[in-house]
Amino acid sequence: MKELSGLPVDSTCVIASLDGDQRFISRITSIGLTPGCRVNVIKNDGNRPMLIYSRDTMIALNRNECKGIMVKEVTA
Amino acid sequence: MSTATIALLGQPNSGKSTLFNALTGLRQHVGNWPGKTVEKKEGSFTHNGMEYRVADLPGSYSLSANSDEEVITRDYIASGDADVVCILADSSQLQRSLFMLADYAGIDVPCFLLLNMSDVAKDQGKTIDAKAIEERLGIPVIPFSATDTRSYDVFYEAMGRAINNKTRLNLNDLKKQYESIKGYQEICDLIPENALPGYSSMWAAVKVIEGDRVVSAKLKNAVGAETFAKIEEIKKNTQGAVATGGCKFAWIDDVLDKAVVSGEKKVTLSRLDRIYTSRVWGKPAVILTVLLGLIASFIPALPLMGVGSAVIAIKEPVMNALYSAGCPEVIVLVIGDVIIQSFSYIFKMLGFVFGVTLVFGLLEEAGVMARISYVFDNTMGKLGLQGKSVMPFLVSFGCTMGGAAGARVIDNWGQKVLTIALAWAVPCGAAWATIPMLASIFFGPGAVGVIVAILLTMLVHMWITAKVFGGKLVKVEDRYGMIMELPPYHKPKWGSLFRYVFGRTKETFVRVTKVILLVCGLFWLLSYSPSGNTSVLYRIGVAIEPVTRFFGMPWQLFLSYIASAVGKEGAIGVISALYNGGSLGTAFVDSMNGAARAANFNEMMLANVTKPEALAFIFAMTFNMPCVVALAATYQETHSAKWTARIVLYYTVMSLILAFIAYHIGLLIW
Repeated sequence: MKELSGLPVDSTCVIASLDGDQRFISRITSIGLTPGCRVNVIKNDGNRPMLIYSRDTMIALNRNECKGIMVKEVTA
Repeated sequence: MSTATIALLGQPNSGKSTLFNALTGLRQHVGNWPGKTVEKKEGSFTHNGMEYRVADLPGSYSLSANSDEEVITRDYIASGDADVVCILADSSQLQRSLFMLADYAGIDVPCFLLLNMSDVAKDQGKTIDAKAIEERLGIPVIPFSATDTRSYDVFYEAMGRAINNKTRLNLNDLKKQYESIKGYQEICDLIPENALPGYSSMWAAVKVIEGDRVVSAKLKNAVGAETFAKIEEIKKNTQGAVATGGCKFAWIDDVLDKAVVSGEKKVTLSRLDRIYTSRVWGKPAVILTVLLGLIASFIPALPLMGVGSAVIAIKEPVMNALYSAGCPEVIVLVIGDVIIQSFSYIFKMLGFVFGVTLVFGLLEEAGVMARISYVFDNTMGKLGLQGKSVMPFLVSFGCTMGGAAGARVIDNWGQKVLTIALAWAVPCGAAWATIPMLASIFFGPGAVGVIVAILLTMLVHMWITAKVFGGKLVKVEDRYGMIMELPPYHKPKWGSLFRYVFGRTKETFVRVTKVILLVCGLFWLLSYSPSGNTSVLYRIGVAIEPVTRFFGMPWQLFLSYIASAVGKEGAIGVISALYNGGSLGTAFVDSMNGAARAANFNEMMLANVTKPEALAFIFAMTFNMPCVVALAATYQETHSAKWTARIVLYYTVMSLILAFIAYHIGLLIW
C-alpha cells in the first residue's frame, strides 16, 4: 500500500483505504473515491493539486487532502 | 391558476443552472435563505396553463452536513415545500454523479431523474438505456440535453408524471446493500419511522453511521438520550461513511448494470488543459484569460454604455428648457445633477454588468472557471477563498463594479462577500489615472516609488481585510483543500445564458437605481450651495479641518476625498475647483462627465499642498470606498445592507488610517 500522492503520472491504482476525519471521508466518497475504485494519475508535480481520473471524471485534489488516500498500484 | 413547486437538485456541473435559466428566464429572483448566509434562487414558469415555481437548490456533491448549503438543501426538500424534486445527473459520468440520487434516497418526496448532457455522453460513444434504469428505480428517468428543444417536451412530460403519480424511488435494493453493514439493521430498528419528519429511518440510520452531526443531534432529541446512546455504541463498530459510500456505489452499479455501454478509451489532458495545469504557464494563462475576458466584456457593454453617454447629452438641453420654462433652480438642479446624472451612471454600470456577467458566465459554463479555480487554489486558499476569486481581483484593476459583478460565479456566499470586500482594496482604473498624475506633480520620478508603495499596501490591505472579515464570513472549520471535479469543456447554451444575463441585468437595474439615486441625491444635497461656498459639506469640512489635518488633509483635500467615495474621476476636479474658489458640487459633476482640469492645476497644487499632504491624499483617495456604483454592485451581489455598510465603514476607517501613516512618514522624509 502506498499514498496516492506517491504515484507517478500515468500509473493506475485501486483505492485500498481512506483515512481522515468524518468530513474528509464524506467529501471524498461523495466525489466518487471509495475503496475498490480505480484511479489513473494524470498529473502529479510539486506542490500543485494532483489531477486524477476516476469513474469517468477528472478530479483535482489538494495535496493535503490526498494524504489519507492509500492505494494499491495495479499494472494496466 | 393551480400551481406546483419543483426543486432542482444536482451536483456542481450537472447543468442545474442551465436548466433553471432555460425554464425561468427573466422570471427569477436571487436572495438569501432567511437568516442564513446561503443564496436562494427561485423562479417560475407556466406550462399548459399551470404555474410552476422552481427552486434552484445550492449545488453540492452530497446531502451530508459538510456545509450549510447541504443542510439547507435537505431540510428544504424534507419540509415538503416542493411537490417534486428533479434530480440531475451527468450522463457522461453517470456512475459518479448518481451519488446524489443515492444520498437522496430515503427522503420522502416524489422525484424524477434527468440524465443531463446526453449529447456529451453520445459523443463519447456511450449508450444509456433510460427505460431500464427507470424500471429499476421506479421513478421517471429521461435523457436530456439542454441544447435540444425537443428535450423540454420530454422534461415537462416526466415532471407531470412525477407530480400526478407521486413517483417515489424504489429503495429495496439499496436497503439490502445497507443491511450488509454490520450494525446498520440494529440502528435502523432503534429509529422509529418518521422520527425525523420527512426522512425515513433508513436515511437517518445511514447519516448517523456517517457521523452526521446535525442528524445525530436531531435524532438524540427525537428518540431520547438513552436510545441514542445505544445507537452511538453500535455505530462505533461500523466503518462510517466509507462503508455507506461503498453501499451507495454498489447500488448504483446494480442500477446501471447493462444499462450503460461505453467504449474504453485512454484519458489524456487536452492541449488547453496542459497549459492551464502547467506549473510554469498555468498562472500566466489564467491571468491572460481573465484580462482577455475583461476586454471582451466591453464589446457587449458598449450599447448600454452608449445609452449612458446619451443620457448625459440630454442633460443640458433639458436643464435649459426647464430654466426657460421658469422652473425654480433647485428643481432644475435636482433633475439635471441628481436624476439625469444618476441614470447616466446607472446605464454605464448596467452595460458593464451585462458584459461582465455574459463573458464570465460564458467562461463558467464552458468549464474554464473550474481551471481558474484549480490554478489559484493554493494562493487564494491562504485567504480563505476559492481559486476563482482571482478573477474578481483582476477585473477590479479595471473597475471594482465589474469585480463585484464577476464575483457572482463564486458559489459560496461567505466567500463571495469576502472576495468583494478584498476586491475593494484593488485600485481601479480611475484611481490608476489619478495616482501617477498627482504623484508626478509632487515627486517627479519618485512617482514610481509611490505606485510601488500603493501596490504593496494593496497586498497588505487585502491580507488584513481577509483577517478582519474572514473569520465571520468563511468559518475556519469550513476551510478545506480542494476536492473538485474538472468538468469537460462544454459548448455554451447561448439561449439559456442570455436569459440568465438579461435576468440579472434587469434585477441589477431595479436594485442599484435606488442605491445610486439615494447616494447621489444625498451628496448633491450636502454639496448644494445656492450662493458662493455655503454648502453643508463645505461648512463641515472647514469646521473639522483641525481633525482632518491630523490625517494630512486640509479641508479642500478632505472634501475631495469625500467626493472620491462617490466617484474617483471627480476627485481632481473638486480639488481644482476648491483651490480656485469654485463650487464643490458643480466641479464634481463636471469632472465626472469628463471636464478637463484647470490649466494651472500643477502650479496651483504645488503652491497650496505640501508633499506629505499630497502623499496622504493619494493613499486616502486610493483606498477609500471605490465609488457609488461599486457600492450599488456590492449591495446587489451580497443581498445584504448590513455587510455592505460594514465594508463601507471599514474602508473609510482604513483609508484614513493609511492617510495618517502616509502623512507622518512623509513628514519624516520631507
